[in-house]
Amino acid sequence: MAPKILLMGELFWAGPDAEELLGGIAELVPMKSQSREEFFKDCAPGGRYSDIVGIYHEHLSDKIVGPPNDELINALPSTCRWFAHKGAGYDSVGVKAAKARGMGVSNTPGAVDEATATTAVFLLIATMRRFSWCEANLRAGGFNPPGVEESARDLSGKTVGILGMGGIGLKMANYIRPFGCNLLYHNRRPNSLAPPDVKYVSELYNFLGQLDVLMVSIPLSEKTRGFVGEKEIRTMKKGSIIVNTARGPVIDEEAMIKALQDGHLGSVGLDVFTKEPEVDQRLKDMKHITLLPHVGTENQDARRKMERTALVNLKEFLTTGTGPNLVPECQ
Amino acid sequence: MSKPQVLIAANPQNGIVWSKEEQNSKLGAVAEVLELTSSSREEFYKDLSSGGKYANIVGIYRHNDSASAIGIFDKDLIEHLPKSVKYIAHNGAGYDQIDIAAATAKGIEVSHTPGAVDAATATVGAFLAISAMRQFYRAEVNVRNGQWKSGLSPARDPEEKVLGIIGMGGIGKALARRLIAFDMKVIYHNRNEITPPPDFPCTYIPNVEDLLKQSDIVSLNLPLNDKTKGSFGKKQFDQMKDGSVLVNTARGAVVDEEALLQALDSGKLFSAGLDVFPDEPNVNPKLLQNDKITVLPHMGTETRDSQKKMEILVLDNLVSALSGKGLLNQVPEQKK
Repeated sequence: MAPKILLMGELFWAGPDAEELLGGIAELVPMKSQSREEFFKDCAPGGRYSDIVGIYHEHLSDKIVGPPNDELINALPSTCRWFAHKGAGYDSVGVKAAKARGMGVSNTPGAVDEATATTAVFLLIATMRRFSWCEANLRAGGFNPPGVEESARDLSGKTVGILGMGGIGLKMANYIRPFGCNLLYHNRRPNSLAPPDVKYVSELYNFLGQLDVLMVSIPLSEKTRGFVGEKEIRTMKKGSIIVNTARGPVIDEEAMIKALQDGHLGSVGLDVFTKEPEVDQRLKDMKHITLLPHVGTENQDARRKMERTALVNLKEFLTTGTGPNLVPECQ
Repeated sequence: MSKPQVLIAANPQNGIVWSKEEQNSKLGAVAEVLELTSSSREEFYKDLSSGGKYANIVGIYRHNDSASAIGIFDKDLIEHLPKSVKYIAHNGAGYDQIDIAAATAKGIEVSHTPGAVDAATATVGAFLAISAMRQFYRAEVNVRNGQWKSGLSPARDPEEKVLGIIGMGGIGKALARRLIAFDMKVIYHNRNEITPPPDFPCTYIPNVEDLLKQSDIVSLNLPLNDKTKGSFGKKQFDQMKDGSVLVNTARGAVVDEEALLQALDSGKLFSAGLDVFPDEPNVNPKLLQNDKITVLPHMGTETRDSQKKMEILVLDNLVSALSGKGLLNQVPEQKK
């Protein structure tokens, strides 16, 4: 009998890819548990999922069984040796528990890069040019919002800093280049893949002080929670802008809101928030910022790529014992 | 000998906004600068006539904002200009508010501000292309209404799609450079193929219909004149790919608006990104109510940075002409 892979969530775009990659190698079993409690029972000895060897996880299943944190990982059957998460960010996954029991966890970097970087550049333009305010004004029956010329700025010649030069940061740099911005980046260590015209700045506050726009592109972890806080924001120039397509909690949201209210920050472009899907009303009431509902990869091509990458990890695990995107915490 | 007189016909309240210093130092060095105070066309005609305060002006700095006081520079207004007028230096790359034929007939040379508008306008074009494909306007409305992703359907990537540019001038090229970075493939139509070819990969398509058939995104980057007015209509929309996107940062009147509305309704167009409309600041409510498109109130160069660049270029044109070196950016129709 073919090994069982539990499908937690749904495959929206990559049904054919699942056939192609897992057909004949494994059986994809849709999760039917109706609650977290029931799921734990289903994974226990004798339960219907007690013999699964791997999991395809996408976040919609969290609505039914809750987040795949350490507690859930520990409830999985011992036969389960691979957790393929669909998504680049895996802060919701219990990697500590996974490592402790020798289970591999993979994510889907790369597949999200272009779509997320495009979202980030959209936010960069929208905030510099105050386009949300302009469009809202137009649709409400006005035209140019009064005074917009004062705050809207050209991108040409402005200094844009990328915090986190990973796959997404690299794509951002290439997308931003033709707009004539001066590009800098800050990272734990210089990235040899960074293009020569994107200058590395090793000291964080030296980096922040030079920027007209900060593009946040670091993963969320215990170390990076609140990384961009009061001190970091106040180090930036008055009138500067922050764009966040990473994770909401990387920025101290209260400090950011204060800085917007007193004008220290000229604008922010956010695709992510501290407690999605809730968004602070104070942010929703601000006309001069740009907000999106975590749609970084909300399009057909990126979604399919992500799903396929998770499936590839499962296939490689089944045939070679490990997948190409094993997260660092589980190595 | 006294300095030639130049009239600043710009915003009736503020005049030149970002370059008052240069207005005084650069232009003031070679001309006596007068500000427009006429509050109606009738009053303006009086001021231009013999004995009036503008009766001897040699040059005019013109901004579209002056139209709210004295109207556009149509044939009638131009014919009322005193014989002394030699130069109209227009602030804007598009100069459809000036009747060039009438100016030429009177021996008046007209300049505009190409180049100075390219980066800012192309950035708007890129923004509209991305926003239309990714459906970002709807997404933002959703956040602000507390609906998050509810009701949003999957959008599309600009990456690896075909961008068809109609009018490969300064703005068209700047737009191509921006969107090529997103792995878009650029094809273009122009009155003539550009030689030597631009410094980025692109393919010239001699027939507009072929361009429309191949493009996922069509961007209009051509000037408005008698030939191009209403030139993008039902026939062109029918030739476009199903589910394609139209971006317009040129002039609203290039497009037949009824045909555009039809194309949006029928789903022929997946979306559109529009910065310009035929009768600004009035905009068809049907467009304002359509949340599948992205619309902006002619923001092409609405930043202090571009506004200043453009103002300076107009002043430089006047200074050059008054110093005997001719206009720097005379409009193509007059450069024969």
